[in-house]
Amino acid sequence: MRSLTIMLAMLLFLGMEVAFAQRTITGQVTGADDGAPIPGASVRVKGASGLGTMTDPDGNYSLQVPDEFNTLIVTFVGMQAAEVAISGSVVNVALASEDVMVGDIVITALGISREKKEVTYQTQKVGQEDLVVSAPTRVTSALTGKVAGLQINIQDNGVNPSSQVLLRGLRSISGDNSALIVIDGAIASSGALDDLNPNDIESVNVLKGATAAALYGSNASNGALLITTKSGTKGEKLTVGISSSYTLDKVAYMPKFQTKYGTGWEGAYDAIENTNWGPRFDGQLRQIGPTFPDGYQVGTQMVPYSPVKDNLLAFFETGKTLSNTVYLSGSNESSKFYLSLGDQRSTGIVPDDEYRRNTIRVNASKKVGKATLSVNTSYFTDETDVVGSTIGHQDRPLYWFILNTAANIPLSTYKDWSNPASYGYADNYFNGYYQNPYWAVGTNRNNDKSNRFLGNFAVNYDFADWISFVARASANNTWGYGKNWRANQKYSATLKSAMDEVSSFVEDTEYQISNYNMDALVNINRDLNESLNLKVVLGASNSDYNYRWSEMRAENLSIPGFYDISNGTGSIVPDLVEQKERSYGYYGDVTLGIKKYLFLNFTGRNDWTSTLADGNNSYFYPAFGLSYVITESLPALQDNSFLSYAKFTASHSTVYNDLQPYQINERYFQATGFPLGTSNGFFLSAQSVDGEIKKEQVSTTEIGLNLSFFESKISIDASYFTSKITDLITSTTPSVASGSTSFLTNIGELESKGFELLLTGNIINAGGFKWDLSVNFSNPETIVREIGDGLNEIAINTTGQYGVYAVVDMPYPQMKANVYKRDPQGRIVVDGVSGIPIQAEGLANLGKTTPDYILGGGSTMAFKGITFNVTFDYRTGHVYYEQGSDNMEFTGRSLASVSANRQDFVIPNSVIETSTGVYTPNTNIQVQGGRQSYWTDAYNDVKSNYVKDATALKIRELSLSYTLPKKFISGLNVQNLTLGFVARNLMTWLPAENMFSDPEFNNSFTNSNVIGVGGYLQSPPTRSFGFNLNIEF
Amino acid sequence: MKNMFKYIVIIVAVIFSTAACSDYLDVNTDPNNPTAVTPDLVLPVAQHYTAQLHHGARRFNDLSNLLMYNWSQSDGFSWYTDEFKYNVTTSFYQGIFNDSYTRCLKQYQVLANLEEAKYVNYKAIAEIMKAYHFQLLVDAYGDVPYTEALQRSGNSTPKYDDAATIYKDLIVKLTAAIEMIKKAEATAVVPGADDGMFGGDMTNWIKFANSVKLRILVRQSGLASEAAYLKTQFDAIVAEGSGFYMADVAINPGYINGEVDKQNPLWDNLGKDAAGSETANNKATCATDYVLTYLTNTNDARLARLYETTAGVLGVPQGLADYDTPVPDAFVPEKVCNIGPGILKSGDQGSIIYTAAECYLNQAEAVVRNMLAGDAQVLYEAGVTASFTQLGLTSALATNYLAGTYANVGWAQSANKIQAIITQKWIATNGTTAEQAWFDYSRTGFPAGLPISMQATSADRPVRLFYPSGEISANTANVPTQPNAFSAKIFWAQ
Repeated sequence: MRSLTIMLAMLLFLGMEVAFAQRTITGQVTGADDGAPIPGASVRVKGASGLGTMTDPDGNYSLQVPDEFNTLIVTFVGMQAAEVAISGSVVNVALASEDVMVGDIVITALGISREKKEVTYQTQKVGQEDLVVSAPTRVTSALTGKVAGLQINIQDNGVNPSSQVLLRGLRSISGDNSALIVIDGAIASSGALDDLNPNDIESVNVLKGATAAALYGSNASNGALLITTKSGTKGEKLTVGISSSYTLDKVAYMPKFQTKYGTGWEGAYDAIENTNWGPRFDGQLRQIGPTFPDGYQVGTQMVPYSPVKDNLLAFFETGKTLSNTVYLSGSNESSKFYLSLGDQRSTGIVPDDEYRRNTIRVNASKKVGKATLSVNTSYFTDETDVVGSTIGHQDRPLYWFILNTAANIPLSTYKDWSNPASYGYADNYFNGYYQNPYWAVGTNRNNDKSNRFLGNFAVNYDFADWISFVARASANNTWGYGKNWRANQKYSATLKSAMDEVSSFVEDTEYQISNYNMDALVNINRDLNESLNLKVVLGASNSDYNYRWSEMRAENLSIPGFYDISNGTGSIVPDLVEQKERSYGYYGDVTLGIKKYLFLNFTGRNDWTSTLADGNNSYFYPAFGLSYVITESLPALQDNSFLSYAKFTASHSTVYNDLQPYQINERYFQATGFPLGTSNGFFLSAQSVDGEIKKEQVSTTEIGLNLSFFESKISIDASYFTSKITDLITSTTPSVASGSTSFLTNIGELESKGFELLLTGNIINAGGFKWDLSVNFSNPETIVREIGDGLNEIAINTTGQYGVYAVVDMPYPQMKANVYKRDPQGRIVVDGVSGIPIQAEGLANLGKTTPDYILGGGSTMAFKGITFNVTFDYRTGHVYYEQGSDNMEFTGRSLASVSANRQDFVIPNSVIETSTGVYTPNTNIQVQGGRQSYWTDAYNDVKSNYVKDATALKIRELSLSYTLPKKFISGLNVQNLTLGFVARNLMTWLPAENMFSDPEFNNSFTNSNVIGVGGYLQSPPTRSFGFNLNIEF
Repeated sequence: MKNMFKYIVIIVAVIFSTAACSDYLDVNTDPNNPTAVTPDLVLPVAQHYTAQLHHGARRFNDLSNLLMYNWSQSDGFSWYTDEFKYNVTTSFYQGIFNDSYTRCLKQYQVLANLEEAKYVNYKAIAEIMKAYHFQLLVDAYGDVPYTEALQRSGNSTPKYDDAATIYKDLIVKLTAAIEMIKKAEATAVVPGADDGMFGGDMTNWIKFANSVKLRILVRQSGLASEAAYLKTQFDAIVAEGSGFYMADVAINPGYINGEVDKQNPLWDNLGKDAAGSETANNKATCATDYVLTYLTNTNDARLARLYETTAGVLGVPQGLADYDTPVPDAFVPEKVCNIGPGILKSGDQGSIIYTAAECYLNQAEAVVRNMLAGDAQVLYEAGVTASFTQLGLTSALATNYLAGTYANVGWAQSANKIQAIITQKWIATNGTTAEQAWFDYSRTGFPAGLPISMQATSADRPVRLFYPSGEISANTANVPTQPNAFSAKIFWAQ
């Protein structure tokens, strides 16, 4: 029967004439924003099933309408449908584009669209223009500074940088705190986000809290970033565009180092030292490097004993990135498509570092009757070729070798490392202890190739105008392989007596990660009566995660320069890790709308997970909220020129964080080195596990206020949230005497809270000049309320002398380090004999490693096609551990080490404890070893010396673009041509005590919650600037 | 259109029928790492960990050879800064405390927890090795967690037990372990190649248990209050009848020369890496001037085995600030005496944790102190001879050496027999088990006249280590107030 109805409808659709009393209505359908005619728009008669026509190429239509019908329905893909009353015989219709509507429509969890006024929690959207304004290669860098409550940490700035996306701070000690990434309605991953071509993104909608994301079940607790990729431009005309950019990366700043003392040891000059403990610079010509025998390829190298300006900076090159995206896009009444091809080629600031990536995206949708089929797929591939990370016999990173170069060494003259007649050659290089960094670049490489397929297929079926069904299947697959190698290096025993031979190796890795998600849901939207609207979503989903990583390593290669596993001697060391995780869940979402100004929302989801034991693995995630649109509810407020919009929201949710696969079982692992001959060996895991372990619970309450003033020229979005996290899944630190180094259990309680404020305003809009300002602020803070019986703190990562901790009643994560013992007046207590400061017992709390607040902002000025845009962010109130300064103290390059002119000295403002509690000022007891050992030993032993203010003000983006007026380009058959200058991280202001690097940089730790420790493992920070060009045909 | 709807229904049905399958979630078994293994896979790792605790970098052997003035540092390295300052802190050599519990003892406890009767031999080995390790812990730290230790998730904050009480219980545990072996059923599994110490020879395990008892008892032999107790225990050992293990006790789970992670830990640390090149530690570590002079002056042939003398006999005082005055580069690695071929034999050598020499010398001391019957001189000379043969020298050279007329060499020339025994133990444990010499130095003050580091700020070397900072923060309520590292001697030295 149904198919008959549809057949009939289609016949009618084709314009069959039916004999009724009727009149002819004509008119034109145009776009509301540009007035351009819309061909192919559907014009139907409301109430007369199947009666309608389509507009011709000029947007005109003509339709016979029976007398009893008085309304036309006009629809076109990408435009808002319009219902227009028939008055007279000519009815012209201007369709507003969906873009306009998107402002009022919010994509919520699971891709469900809701009107903004219905949404009971806070979200913030970043559109396409804001994402690509500075021609970024990563979406994450484009989001920085733009969203209240979003903290993006760019953790290094190599050619293929990594970043961490945090929403509203941290709320788990051992679990992942990164936001959930959803791409086109399907759960993806942070890797998939990094792999997206920013040019392909239509918008990013940020669901800030757990409540917004509660429908995602156990993935919800950290909020979510919903990314929508482009779906196709409107109009039958094909849009072809090219976006190109060329940017340069330069080192922004180097560590602050002393330049008064050079090569040497204990105050004496030493020609082969990596350290700066020599005499004061005197400008004399001195031997550097080993003494060569007579008749050797090179003679003694002599350099002036004076600092070489920027000698370390000179090692770094200018990185270059050329990025091109070509895209095609179009649509007609029933289908849309978007195709793009991207190509990025980069060279890094480190010589020979190269990166290349290609992206392909195919998005298409087709409406077939009541069904809409859509597919979003992308394929990504990249190749990274960078210097190795285990250089020399000590397996150090490259920066180490650069930093171990004294101030008087002309580092950039050692490029010719492979030439035996050069001072850059292994045996000839000046440094008796560490290798030439140029040699490192040539003999240690890490190569990686990765691929990602991201695809989802969705079917939307409209049973009726009030009920529809959506089914969606998605895949997020990534796979790749890597080859890391190091060449062998032998040294002359006489020229390099302290140098160890560098062994060769080759390491082959392969990995595959697949993630499949499926969703099916029914969407109901019914007006129950004049004032009551009911929206219901009922659905189910499942997820299937598979991980596999393998590595083979061969050592001491037989044939030089041949990097294959077969070339190794001794046993090949293989490693294989596999993981599987599955879950499924059912959910429901009910929104009751009362008189279009009060909305009540209830959601619930029940999940079953594979990571917990059967019978103990079911969890229910409830959430509820309300939204009250004040301006719509009070007639007195309507149509006033001051307050244009006011909405209040409140919501509450409970979600749970899941465990990792296999975590609940204590396992045995093959011990390093085994099998030894015929005997194999396994060890019991270092971690012990609570037999009763369960998920951790996050309860969040949020209130929000959205206000607009002066005809929406100025708007304020404010929210306050508070979360309580209980039953934390925590890897606690037990006494090692328990036989385990960590104990995984549910313990303690965290509390997090914070304000978010977003202020946007159109300051000037006159005479073609437009100035928009936007400021956002957030101050999330997480306090540790409880850890467990008898425990006051948990080390997240510690060396024993400093580390990142969770400490009861203190903000988390907390930096702790050993400190000087001080008297009640704060003076340093020194030993009465040696004059050396005494250390206080234990480690002191020295501050949290996430900011007190982040202030972000942007300004956009536009005048006659010229647009000037700037984005900044300011983070303060936190500390970070300057590991670079700590680890380099032994080299004598720090400013501290020259603060007493390399003399023995009395510690300023110090006291001696003459008897218990009695402190006498120390005026004459000097510390010994001021020329070196005081600094390398006593000073370096107090790690609080390296805990620094992490405040940073950064101009994240700056761009100046010019869109050529249509009249200049119309002859070229070009629709749009925009040229721009772009810059990222152009300026950074840091406090004076920051000596080393960008406090945002972080070492990579197994536990990603170890935030605030960085230094020599990353190259120095860079700034980038360049040009971009966008042409659309 | 109807078809379309049908397809959707089918797709959805397929999706959720997979999800609804009862075994869909049954994937939480780690395919790479088992949840249970047989004891023959646990024991070799445990023993390897024991070897590493002695001979790995910054573990017992490194520490004690530096403290006992056997080793120093070559020019060009700042390797042993804290050691030369006797900078005993909560991070100083914390690996000894941590690894003892979380590596060695954890593994032995897995064996001790075995419930099946057929594994009684493994249980006994575990108890013997636990006693061995707990003695080391007491000797280095004093009071340590014992009765409540090693319960993993069962007790995260074990209490600390009194050092002397632990010592007493170790003897009880060793006696019980010997009984276990003796009463084992014929069907009990006997370890084979997986036992890297005795290859499953359970009689040797009994003898070794007695040797451990010997070490424990002799360490307390200076305590007058314990004289009767010690005598009783010695009598019990004699009555048991198996005797002591009179050869070097070495761990070798199958070390392979020239392979990464498979070499003997001592060789890997101080000898050559898998590629066959000398490690940085090898170059950085050398003889002290004092020890070379001492060995030279007593005409001790062991010098050229303990130290590498190819470039001459040159040692470095500990804690030298200026290596280049008066002669620049005088102490670079190729000019000084690095660690010798008697200690570093090859990458597949076993790790000696209890030398035959020490066993003889311990017996000699027990005899001198009238706790054990026997001929002290015979035992003393057998001990010195065992030291020579262990280092690859002939017993004839030992005889020759013992005939020398130096105090603490020839038995007759040694007025103080205890001093002679302990001094010889210092030489016999050099490079291998020098922690025994350190403990005995705290106990007896011998060898007399041993210099201290030039960087020391204390009058003498430390007598104990500090509890690690990690333990202090994780077990705050139980960790005792840290006793002074220089003055608070372990109970057996008080």
